[in-house]
Amino acid sequence: MDTLDRSRATTTTTTTWAEMPLLQRVVLQYEVEQFLYAEAALLDARRYRDWLNLVADDIEYWMPIRRTVTNSDLDREFTKPGEIAFFDDDRAYLEMRVKKLEAGSAWSEDPPSRSRHFVNNVRILDVAGDEITLEACFHLYRSRLEADTDSWIGRRVDVLRRAGDSFRLVKRHLFLDHTVIHSTNFSTIF
Amino acid sequence: MADGAQSGHAWDRVEIQSLFDPATGWLDRRVLSDEALYQLELERIFARGWNFMCHESQLKEPGEYLVSYIGEDQVIVVRGEDGKVNALLNTCRHRGNALCRAEQGRAKSFICSYHGWNYALDGRLIGVPGQKTFYHDDLDRSRLGLARVRLESYLGFYFATLAEDAPSLHDYLGATGRTGIGMVCAHGEVEVVEGIQKNVIDCNWKIAVDNLFDWYHVPYSHASANTAGFIEIARIQHPRNQMVMLGEYGHAIGGPGIPREAQDEIDRMSDEERAMASRAAPQTAPRIRPRSATDLMGQAGVRSEGHPNIFPNLWITISGNQICLRLPRGPSHTELWWFTLVPKGAPPEAKREMVRRLSHVFGPAGLLEQDDGENWSQSTRAARGVASRKLGQTLQMGLGHDRVVTSEAGEHYVEGLISEHGQRWLYRAWTEWMAAPDWADLKANHSLPPTGVI
Repeated sequence: MDTLDRSRATTTTTTTWAEMPLLQRVVLQYEVEQFLYAEAALLDARRYRDWLNLVADDIEYWMPIRRTVTNSDLDREFTKPGEIAFFDDDRAYLEMRVKKLEAGSAWSEDPPSRSRHFVNNVRILDVAGDEITLEACFHLYRSRLEADTDSWIGRRVDVLRRAGDSFRLVKRHLFLDHTVIHSTNFSTIF
Repeated sequence: MADGAQSGHAWDRVEIQSLFDPATGWLDRRVLSDEALYQLELERIFARGWNFMCHESQLKEPGEYLVSYIGEDQVIVVRGEDGKVNALLNTCRHRGNALCRAEQGRAKSFICSYHGWNYALDGRLIGVPGQKTFYHDDLDRSRLGLARVRLESYLGFYFATLAEDAPSLHDYLGATGRTGIGMVCAHGEVEVVEGIQKNVIDCNWKIAVDNLFDWYHVPYSHASANTAGFIEIARIQHPRNQMVMLGEYGHAIGGPGIPREAQDEIDRMSDEERAMASRAAPQTAPRIRPRSATDLMGQAGVRSEGHPNIFPNLWITISGNQICLRLPRGPSHTELWWFTLVPKGAPPEAKREMVRRLSHVFGPAGLLEQDDGENWSQSTRAARGVASRKLGQTLQMGLGHDRVVTSEAGEHYVEGLISEHGQRWLYRAWTEWMAAPDWADLKANHSLPPTGVI
């Protein structure tokens, strides 16, 4: 236990991910994954307000548009910051989304969707001070009404910031594998 | 398509005309689900009408192209070496293979991935592998260029039609269509922001179109966006101050109107005063447009704060900053393409804020549009059962209660309460387009904008 506590303490200091001893990496990987799973469980349980408590005030929540382009045009595959995006949210916009879901009149979520957030292939890319940058694959499955199903799959880059014995989500950039979205809406949180 | 419940019926003129009754507002629900009607729509509405392709700012350099649609036909819109924009069917003349697989890009020429036939940016067939050896030089390349599609533009907006005998784009748009596009350009030159939001909704395309005239649904459908603090419905809907403009060939504009007295006040202001007042005014005050806007939108049109639809399927939003194509994908599916436009040369920070605000309104994650999609898909699904489709739809709001005013400039409009004049005009035009076998017939038999009480 002592060892674990010490290893946790050092992750919030100056050690970079590459320099970190293996045991510390294992501990940090475990902590990060447990946080991501807990966060996903809140969304699946429709506990949006509780989810919002895990979001930092300076959150950058962004999903650019992906386009079908040729190999010679791959630099234009995703729209860039400041261009059009499906999600381009700060904390205030995310709060609006949650308030909308709580309003009692968000008809596109009444009856509510059944969703399952899968997070896997979690790789920590960088540790800088109290911030951890990670990349993960996501699969958000949504089942709606009698027979509507959606599967949204992609890669995401998250930044987590240490907050006591937990984390806060500082950045979530979502890179979908879809170009034309074959869904009625994104009345959901990724 | 399996979900088009009633296929195979050959619709004749009289039957088509009976599908909508303008005198009562009764609409036969089969127009939303019948497979044979859908196939006829592709021929008689989409192939025949002028379809929005793109804005000039999307094709800056020679070789820049994007792929758009006329109904289900793919069209390559490309800026040629000479700077002119060409529209070409995206199908190789040899075996029909699609030349462009990307939705947009840059090309020096279009080479087919099947056998390597090579086409210039203007569609000429410039290379055929084995022309001498395998074809014995008897292949007439001059007859095998890509099929060229008629393309015309208005204020930088390119439209295409497959009908050689269609009227010019200018005449097709008429006063109402030109007002609609003028609304986008009312504050000066615009450019499209990178990124078209595209998603498919399981609804008939006409439901997505007629909804844009519908200001009745706003407080109920979008109540949650109001509660969340994103919009203030009570201050944008103006249910007693509506203005509906009706134009030839089915174009219409519906929504709030600026009262004449308020516009008179604006008209007395110089452009500098307007710019100042506009900056100071809350988002919900009447839009103060510059003087030049009257030339683009017309005497009456300049008072419109509604949504224009360029028949058949181009929605221009009230702000003029977003336009949306509703592309048909079978009787029960519609693909939405959202384009966002901002003033050309706006300061980056102002542009950034504008883009961020706009991207939260429409599109699949939009705080407003999330709730529209399911209304449309359920209105399509729940209306196609054997018994349900026989019930008809009722579009009678305001019928017989409004008098059309005709301006000196030939604009036709009504002012008053929320109504369904726009929807009735759309379905009336739809039956006329569908009943007419060709343009000559449509020109002779379509409704002119109404006068008197409607």
